[in-house]
Amino acid sequence: MADTATTHAVVLRDIGKRFPGVVANHDVDITIRTGTVHALIGENGAGKSTLMKILYGVQRPDEGAIILGGQEVQLHSPTDAIAHGIGMVFQHFMLADNLTVLENVVLGAEKLHGIGDAARKTVAELSDRYGFGLDPDQLVEELGVGDRQRIEILKVLYRGAKTIILDEPTAVLVPQEVDALFENLRVLKEEDHTILFISHKLDEVLAIADDITVMRRGTTVGQARPGSVTKHELAEMMVGSELPTPAKEGSTVTDEVQLELANVSVVDPRGRSLLTDISITIHRGEVLGIAGVEGNGQAELVETIMGIRKATYGQVRLGDVDITSWETRGRREAGIGYIPEDRHRHGLLLDSPLWENRILGHQTRRPVAKGMWIDRSGAREDTDRIIEQYDVRTPSTDTLCRALSGGNQQKLVVGREMSGAPALLIASHPTRGVDVGAQAAIWEHIKRARKDGLAVLLVSADLDELIGLSDRIEVLHRGRLVAEFDPRDVTPQDLGAAMTGAHEDAS
Amino acid sequence: MSIVRRFGMGLLAPLTAVAAAMLITSIVISLSGSSAIEFWEIIFSRPADRVFVNIVNQTSLIYLAGLAAAIGFRMNLFNIGVEGQYTLASYAAASLAGAALFPGLLNVFMSLLLAVAVGAAWAGIAGVLKVTRGVSEVISTIMLNAIAITLVGYLLNRYGVKVGNGVRTEVIPDGSRVDGWFPFAEPDGPVWALGLLAVLGGIGFWVLLNKTRFGFDLRATGASQSAAVASGVNVNKMVVYSMLMSGGIAGLIWMPSLFGAAYSYGTTFQAFLGFTGIAVALLGRNQPVGILVGAVLFAFLNEQSNRLTLETDISANVVQITQGVIVLAVVVAYEVVRRYRTKLEQRSVTETLEADKTAKGKAVSA
Amino acid sequence: MRLSTRIAAVGAAAVLALAGCARDDNPGNGTSGGSVDLDCDAGGDGPKVGLAYDVGGRGDQSFNDSAATGMQRAVEELGATCTEGEAQDGEAESAREDRLRQMADGDYNPIIGIGFAYSEAVDAVAPDYPEVNFAVVDGYDPTPDEPNENVAYLGFAEHEGSFLVGVAAAEKTEADHVGFVGGVNNGLIQKFQAGYEAGVKAVNPDIEVDVTYIEQSNLSGFADPAGGKAAAAGMYDGGADIVYHAAGGSGSGVFDAAVEAGEGKWAIGVDSDQYLTATEEQKKHILTSMLKRVDVATFDMIQSVADGKPLTSYQTYNLEDDGVGYSTSGGFIDDITDVINGYAEQIKSGAVKVPETP
Repeated sequence: MADTATTHAVVLRDIGKRFPGVVANHDVDITIRTGTVHALIGENGAGKSTLMKILYGVQRPDEGAIILGGQEVQLHSPTDAIAHGIGMVFQHFMLADNLTVLENVVLGAEKLHGIGDAARKTVAELSDRYGFGLDPDQLVEELGVGDRQRIEILKVLYRGAKTIILDEPTAVLVPQEVDALFENLRVLKEEDHTILFISHKLDEVLAIADDITVMRRGTTVGQARPGSVTKHELAEMMVGSELPTPAKEGSTVTDEVQLELANVSVVDPRGRSLLTDISITIHRGEVLGIAGVEGNGQAELVETIMGIRKATYGQVRLGDVDITSWETRGRREAGIGYIPEDRHRHGLLLDSPLWENRILGHQTRRPVAKGMWIDRSGAREDTDRIIEQYDVRTPSTDTLCRALSGGNQQKLVVGREMSGAPALLIASHPTRGVDVGAQAAIWEHIKRARKDGLAVLLVSADLDELIGLSDRIEVLHRGRLVAEFDPRDVTPQDLGAAMTGAHEDAS
Repeated sequence: MSIVRRFGMGLLAPLTAVAAAMLITSIVISLSGSSAIEFWEIIFSRPADRVFVNIVNQTSLIYLAGLAAAIGFRMNLFNIGVEGQYTLASYAAASLAGAALFPGLLNVFMSLLLAVAVGAAWAGIAGVLKVTRGVSEVISTIMLNAIAITLVGYLLNRYGVKVGNGVRTEVIPDGSRVDGWFPFAEPDGPVWALGLLAVLGGIGFWVLLNKTRFGFDLRATGASQSAAVASGVNVNKMVVYSMLMSGGIAGLIWMPSLFGAAYSYGTTFQAFLGFTGIAVALLGRNQPVGILVGAVLFAFLNEQSNRLTLETDISANVVQITQGVIVLAVVVAYEVVRRYRTKLEQRSVTETLEADKTAKGKAVSA
Repeated sequence: MRLSTRIAAVGAAAVLALAGCARDDNPGNGTSGGSVDLDCDAGGDGPKVGLAYDVGGRGDQSFNDSAATGMQRAVEELGATCTEGEAQDGEAESAREDRLRQMADGDYNPIIGIGFAYSEAVDAVAPDYPEVNFAVVDGYDPTPDEPNENVAYLGFAEHEGSFLVGVAAAEKTEADHVGFVGGVNNGLIQKFQAGYEAGVKAVNPDIEVDVTYIEQSNLSGFADPAGGKAAAAGMYDGGADIVYHAAGGSGSGVFDAAVEAGEGKWAIGVDSDQYLTATEEQKKHILTSMLKRVDVATFDMIQSVADGKPLTSYQTYNLEDDGVGYSTSGGFIDDITDVINGYAEQIKSGAVKVPETP
């Protein structure tokens, strides 16, 4: 291959980006050929979105180089990125419903062709040329999702983008719309545009991409061409080829059932099925791991057990008690601890001091409350205990939660949820975004509690974690449990296949 | 961060805001061709005795209004309906008190109870609509304001007592009047006894917010609804409860004046306190002490502004500019200070960690 | 730095806009010009008059301005001097009282409250200043069993004046459909409504009269041009071609509604001759105005104090003594003045009794 830089639209070399306590990207190398569709795949949390923000000028890399069309550039802002011909289409559309297609496209780029006939002509031309079929004067509110997406693409084309980043563009589309999108992408490609296509849907990637780059744990782990790689191989690259060995300690599983889900289904108000016929049993002293590509029902499963979402059908039992209709508070009081997936949104009050965060979720229980009153000194003392036992690095219990690093915040959450001897722990990605030291500590705490009879439901995208901690692993795919594995003898191929649905196709 | 420093931080924002407001007001006055110095001389002159009494009395009303708004704000509920709630409640209480169904102070007590109930019920409508129908409380309370004010006007015209060109409810009998204390000569007027409601309300608000589980749930919901839900807070219930409480306190707003000076609902009813309350709650950061400072400031400016038109060519409206700018500047200043404070805290955390490391390192090497 | 320039520009614009409302002596609002020129200090050793305006204050082209006209006459003819205070929307009752007390403490005498909303405040303040003479335009004694010796209540026979403009409306309507917009639904404004309706019906009982009040009891109805415009526009849309307003400062909205409704749609002004203070656009639509001579009453009060025989208790200014009337500016009703004057004579003679309540 002639390695002339000009045939490469984008080259990212040794990109690294650190946030306090976390390394989001390191040693990222990607080469994107001009006029191709280049897919970037990886699990959620693999570092794709940070990388895209770097390429779109939202964040600056700590190290490494961005080379566009053979020249190294510094991107300080999205405006810089657009000036260099890079445009981005976000998963969530940013369109004004009550404006027309033309107005939406022109909004913010009035200087290019004005807002009058010249602009209308340009928009119409672009739409025709790429087969978008958009009427410049139609109101956006009258348009469907597929058309809206085309408007977003038109917006970046109008601003002169040659390289277009599409962030999970198919997540919001139905299959026919996906086909239409792919048709548009092919036309764009013929016109010498370059597409960077972010996804974790392997079928789609294999269908449209010319090149594929796989990311895992913040770095690029492999390159592939669709013709020479199978779905299974891709899945394996995504989740890692060498699976960790399971914990060597003996099993602590008892035969006492702590949590039982019987035929639980959840249907959303629009009639979409989120969970279908889930039956799970977790015993005291047992850790059940839930594997799956994100967005396949994990969040709904956790929320259903926590009472944040109500099961449409089926039963949830804690011990011998039917808690299907209980509210979240009652469930927590009955001894369910909850480490939420997103600690900032669901686990903490960022602008409150640590001791108040100790109270959160335990409002009705000692030692942080007495009757209808909050026990401040009790809460402070117990926060000190957590700081001590869980090694939370903080100057004092009065420090605002926001000031702590991610790892320390998470240790606080774990310490809190382990307080008061819970019978069941729902742990959703308990070590996501924390540094290695904190991760090891959190795992250690979960193992110790399991030994004391705690039942744990562990949802994680980190296979080290899943295999290292779980006694059993169930795989969720499209809201159904599709496979069960013993962590001691599971292969990455099996796990990858089950997670991506290939398992089903085969059976 | 030391206590002193934290306290200093707390004062920084409001002080900056007041300074900014004074500056902008001065510019506005100067541009309109009047003397800013004259303006501030009048505003900052020692209030006459009766004006002093008025300031205290107005503070109690504005403070109650501020509390009513703040309860909603603490939960991110924008109860704009305080105005309608206290208008309706004041009318109801004045009607009951005027009817004199109960003797003496019992009449006062029952009327206060009715005021709370009516205010709460009117606010509760918005709460229930939000929970069951998803109607934004901003919209529903604005609508309910219009309905309440029109309804009171209708009831007053229909059942009120005509006096000259005015209409009012029956006058409260002597035995059920609660004037208060006369700190100066009698013509300077009393400090209204029911102003104590504001004191009790302030203390109650503080205790509720900081000491009780309910208060914790309320603050948690305001700080992060998603985190509150995950912690087991039933947000729907909280919405209805806090609207009821907000409305209940709103019902009391005009009571000190009703039993201390007006004795009936009519032309002497003081409107717009509900909106003043919103501004004061914003100004006071929804904290009991902050709202008090805001209420005193607003009452002081309002009362002192009366002399402006008499003694200068400056419109009393200027004071509203000052008040508006203060609120705006406070909101901005708080955000700036908050960010600065977070940065300081983060630095302090890092310092602690670094100190930890060196200490450990030394221990090892020693 | 473009952003900071923009912020500075917006800020400067805001400050300039605010500066517009910072002075309280700007005559009229905006383009309409023609307000009353009152120079308080131009007088000599005549009475020192305290004028306490109601919400809206000077520049309302109606009620308060009319009082200022009377004051100016006192300045010129009696050598009076004056100070002016103005009520704020939503102010405390104690602020009204304080305003009056400050005037009394400043040795102003007489002190005239413009608008019935001063009734309670005057009743509270007057006993503490027995040497000072108070007057309340449209006022009443809220405690009739404890009358004040030093207070005059200056009332008007608004129903009589309203009757005459009702006659004018009835004579001029082509749709046989007219309207009335009141500021606040109280006894005072109902007098306007009653007289107007009676006047219309006296000419032709079949004419339809729409009635709307901007507010039920909230005094902001007198300072709400948007509310006045909405009310009047509704009537024009509904087929009425003449709308009479008794809504103080909200009236300018009624005129705007007439302008927008177009040719053939009329409005009738109130209190002062509003044709004189209206914009050029509005003038084409102001049929006539019901004159309520607040200026006469104000001047009367001042003169009585200057003469050492201060007015007290209820005083009524009616058609007989030119306390009310109608205006002919613009010449739109010159052809029917005979008819109107005919009714006026009948009222004066007692042949026609005008009702005070609708």
